Amino acid sequence: MDALEPRKVIGVYHLSKTYGDRVVLRDVNLQVGNGEFVFLVGPSGAGKSTLLRMIYMDETPTDGQVVVGSFVSTNLKRRQIPYLRRKIGIVFQDFKLLEDRSVFENVAITMRVAGAPNAEIKKRVMQVLTQVGLYHKRYDRPITLSGGEQQRVAIARAVVDTPEILLADEPTGNLDPEVTKDILQLLLRINSAGTAVLMATHNHELVRNYGQRIVFLRDGTIEEDLRLGLAAFTKDRLGLSEPVGRPLGASGERGETH
Amino acid sequence: MKGHQILYLVSEAFNTLGRHKAVTFLSIVIMSLTLLVLAVFLLATDNVLTFLDRARREMTVFVYLKDDVPPRTLEEEYKRLLKMGEVETVVFISKEQAMAEFREELGDERSILEVLETNPLPASFRVTLKNEYRKKESIERFAGAMRGAPAVEEVSYGKEFIEQFSTVSRGFLYVDLVLGVIVILSSIFIISNTVRLTILSRQKSIEVLKLVGATNRFITMPFMIEGAFQAGVASLVSLGLLFGIYALTKGLLPDLAFLRPGKIALYVVICILLGSIGSLASLRRHLKL
Repeated sequence: MDALEPRKVIGVYHLSKTYGDRVVLRDVNLQVGNGEFVFLVGPSGAGKSTLLRMIYMDETPTDGQVVVGSFVSTNLKRRQIPYLRRKIGIVFQDFKLLEDRSVFENVAITMRVAGAPNAEIKKRVMQVLTQVGLYHKRYDRPITLSGGEQQRVAIARAVVDTPEILLADEPTGNLDPEVTKDILQLLLRINSAGTAVLMATHNHELVRNYGQRIVFLRDGTIEEDLRLGLAAFTKDRLGLSEPVGRPLGASGERGETH
Repeated sequence: MKGHQILYLVSEAFNTLGRHKAVTFLSIVIMSLTLLVLAVFLLATDNVLTFLDRARREMTVFVYLKDDVPPRTLEEEYKRLLKMGEVETVVFISKEQAMAEFREELGDERSILEVLETNPLPASFRVTLKNEYRKKESIERFAGAMRGAPAVEEVSYGKEFIEQFSTVSRGFLYVDLVLGVIVILSSIFIISNTVRLTILSRQKSIEVLKLVGATNRFITMPFMIEGAFQAGVASLVSLGLLFGIYALTKGLLPDLAFLRPGKIALYVVICILLGSIGSLASLRRHLKL
């Protein structure tokens, strides 16, 4: 069975989700390997956020199955969900930081819920804040930070307890292009350290520059699952003119509105 | 849950209370007024129960004796009574003592006794039964048994009073129990609604905690500690208010007694429990925890 294959940190099998009459996801299949980086691309309303929510099991599938590590959606008990979440770091467009706490406490909370001792929390939070370049702002309140800095705090919170998986739902949606690039670099760095990253975005322009796997989601179904080597076959989709095998360029437009 | 996590959650709870002073103050005011109803109820119940207990304690069976009983028989009868399982105390009242008491009761009108040539009052045993036998059925059974004794002229125990007393006290207990349940449920309801404001304002932080893998216990514990603390303070405030009411009504109800220290401690503990249960109820209702 697929679910038992080694090296898969996320397995989505024949997943469907409906709300009343509205079909949000239809027969979605997606596997993410250990340490892999995957862009999940699609217009607003394509079902990206719903798919991510299914992965961190905030929603239960109408049909099909989600497997994350040893957690299987079809026989998951509610009280197991916190332990699943500790294996996953999650980042959102709106950062979801706690305004009444310092940057340090915002990052530390992940380890506090897991019951880490204070000394370890301090050491690890300092380390991660240094990595995201915010060590000097550890006592500041999130409200005093720029959008990019706030997102870096959110990323630090997501990875501080070294999760196997990082889910990012439009993490650059509120950020300007320069900061967006920084955040993506940060996510790639995290990925290169071994964490699998699944990043949802509506921004096609953004993802083509990085040569990572791209999964297109539209109207709740996966249209295409694109790895770098296959890029040439779908260059029209990406609006590319470069030959096969070269890193994806930044030129070209997609004839789609978001 | 580990010790340092519990310490963290306790400090979280008190930090939150300090951070939202206005909400904390308002919650305590609302809870104090709510708990005052419970306090008044407890005071009333406590006093009625004390009264009923005293009335029960005063239930005495009078065993009137024939005039010509020799002292030896009296003594035997006295010893027999003392040996009976249901008897607590037996006091012998001689004819002379009975007359003296009667004289005392008459007060200024004792002159009417001067026309009497002999003492018409009988000697008697005043018997109190053990607490568990101070019930209509047991008293009747005891009286019946005593009536058969040769030295006994008559047995009296205020039959009507005891019958009424049993009905009234049983009725009171039922009504009191129902009222108590209503008062406690409405306290939980009001407290959980008061806590709701705090919970709704902290929905985002609860959401974040869930996302980073906090267990329900980790999320609910600070709220329960806050609820317990607020209700604990509110219980002391309501006790102060209750004492005010008690002092004001003392003129009208001189027999009214305030709650004793043991009862006060019990009341505070109940309030603290209500505070944490109210918080938990609210969290469950609004956050599907």
